[in-house]
Amino acid sequence: MKRKTILEEVLDRGFTRRDFLKMCTALAATMGLDFSQTDQVVAAMEKNQRVPVIWLQFQDCTGCSESFIRSTHPKVESVLLNMISLEYSEVLSAASGHQVEAALEHVLEHYPGEYILAVEGSLPTDDAFLTVGGVSAKETFLRAAKGAKAIIAYGSCSSWGGIPAAYPNPTKAKPITHFVKDKPIILVPGCPPIAEVMTGVIAHIITFGKFPELDHLGRPKAFYRHRIHDKCNRRAYFDAGLFAESFDDEGARQGYCLYKVGCKGPTTYNSCAEMRWNGGVSYPIQSGNPCIGCSEKGFWDNGPFFVRRAKIPASQTTINPETVGAIAVGVTAAGVAAHAAVTAMKKKDEHHDRGE
Amino acid sequence: MSIPTNPKIEQKRTEVIWKRSRKAKHIELNDHMVKVYVWELPVRIFHWINAFSILVLMITGVFIGRPFVSASIQEEAYYSFLMGWARYIHFFVAFLFTINLAVRWYWVYKGNEHATSNPFRLSFWKEAFETIKYYLFMKNNKKHYIGHNPLAQLSYWIFIGLGSIIMMLTGYYLLFEPQPESIYGKMFMWVAHLFGGDSYSVRSWHHLVAWGFIIFTVVHVYMAFREDYLQRNGTMSSIFTGYKLERKKEALGEQDEK
Repeated sequence: MKRKTILEEVLDRGFTRRDFLKMCTALAATMGLDFSQTDQVVAAMEKNQRVPVIWLQFQDCTGCSESFIRSTHPKVESVLLNMISLEYSEVLSAASGHQVEAALEHVLEHYPGEYILAVEGSLPTDDAFLTVGGVSAKETFLRAAKGAKAIIAYGSCSSWGGIPAAYPNPTKAKPITHFVKDKPIILVPGCPPIAEVMTGVIAHIITFGKFPELDHLGRPKAFYRHRIHDKCNRRAYFDAGLFAESFDDEGARQGYCLYKVGCKGPTTYNSCAEMRWNGGVSYPIQSGNPCIGCSEKGFWDNGPFFVRRAKIPASQTTINPETVGAIAVGVTAAGVAAHAAVTAMKKKDEHHDRGE
Repeated sequence: MSIPTNPKIEQKRTEVIWKRSRKAKHIELNDHMVKVYVWELPVRIFHWINAFSILVLMITGVFIGRPFVSASIQEEAYYSFLMGWARYIHFFVAFLFTINLAVRWYWVYKGNEHATSNPFRLSFWKEAFETIKYYLFMKNNKKHYIGHNPLAQLSYWIFIGLGSIIMMLTGYYLLFEPQPESIYGKMFMWVAHLFGGDSYSVRSWHHLVAWGFIIFTVVHVYMAFREDYLQRNGTMSSIFTGYKLERKKEALGEQDEK
């Protein structure tokens, strides 16, 4: 059976070619492509067929799915209905029970090496914590991963382990990269990731048939190459030395830098400051809340949300380096003073012994 | 049949010497006392630039981590550049610190016997242990050292050696991480893998090791004054002039041993 191309699907749904071109232009912009590269997107969409996608959820909160359906550029319906064919999703599939499981089997059987596997949530190393219908999470994942063309880890849980893997990690949760080593996995961390980033990654794979350029941690460079701090709309206040001291002071009202109320922007790589959320309306820092660093590895263990701390290496303990440092120096100074006193006493004794 | 050789080249074969231990110069004052030129000029310059750098880096560094003052002109960011300057100074002095340390490393090979240290000898550790006993007021066999005692040398290896390397690697990583594609970014991006993988872990190392320097400074300054007080050999003035006053027997005796 010959499958329809994406263009044909779009025309079938009553859109005009003009609508199709608009969609491609918006898509190119979302992927971080130059305007002149729009024709490549158009060409790909005219020739390529819809890509089957399996969306598996493990130890997650469905937050990533919720974020995904709020995509505005491209609109999620155009992604879902025109570009991909979402064959299996716990949240979005209309079918349920045996029907949807049959749909999953159908994809695994008929499209090996063609479908994209999207994973939301981490996997427990102890099967007792997540076994659905007698099949463990690990088994489900490995079976789907085997024939996947590409695997996308949506969210911090599947990328780094996230909240399920936070101390003390009762389920011994691990990111999906722990279980599959022989397949390329693209990490799209965030709690949740930005909707346009999620759709942008899929769009890139469909358009070019390969992964977007990844950084040293496996994240797409187009969306994760900059720190929040370096693109922050409050950065001028940081450089000036104007800081909100608390959430209800004059500084907070003026829109000063949120560094002193614990902003994790300086250690967080994400495109919130550029893409923003909810169709580009705002993002946490713009709305007056410091960045909590949700797209960073182990963000849940990197200390409380509204203070900046340092993590003691190879531990889950975070401390205030200035306070602990000052105490340590104080203790050292006291030790030095005691040592000096003993030294002086000893020296006196020696003089005394020698009869001086 | 022999291969024709160039006798000129044959003669020019030089011997590679890892480290030529140069004895410290001394000036005889009288029959008992000598002035020993312990700290040569590059060592003293290094010491003071290093001390200055650590002080400035610590003040600006704590400010960057936890800004303890705010800009005096409120509301508009346009008029002030307080954090900007703190960061500029921090970065500038960091380069000074690095170059300074590089020169000192060179001087480990060029300098006199007191400019170097060899921890790969058993006697180094034995004598360091004796020195620990000495500082704990226990019975000991600590010798009198004209330069640094082995425990002091060990503290320099740990704080000025290893500590500086950690601070420089993590520091330059933090400086260049916004431009991972630049040549400097490429030079330091691997550092993250060494210190926990993510920006936050690297930063944590930078913050924690910084305080190690301050603890070191407190102990170091105290020990120097203490040595001066007990030995009366001009330890404190030696870091300005380079000279220590020593008994002739000890000064020459220690040199004969080497």
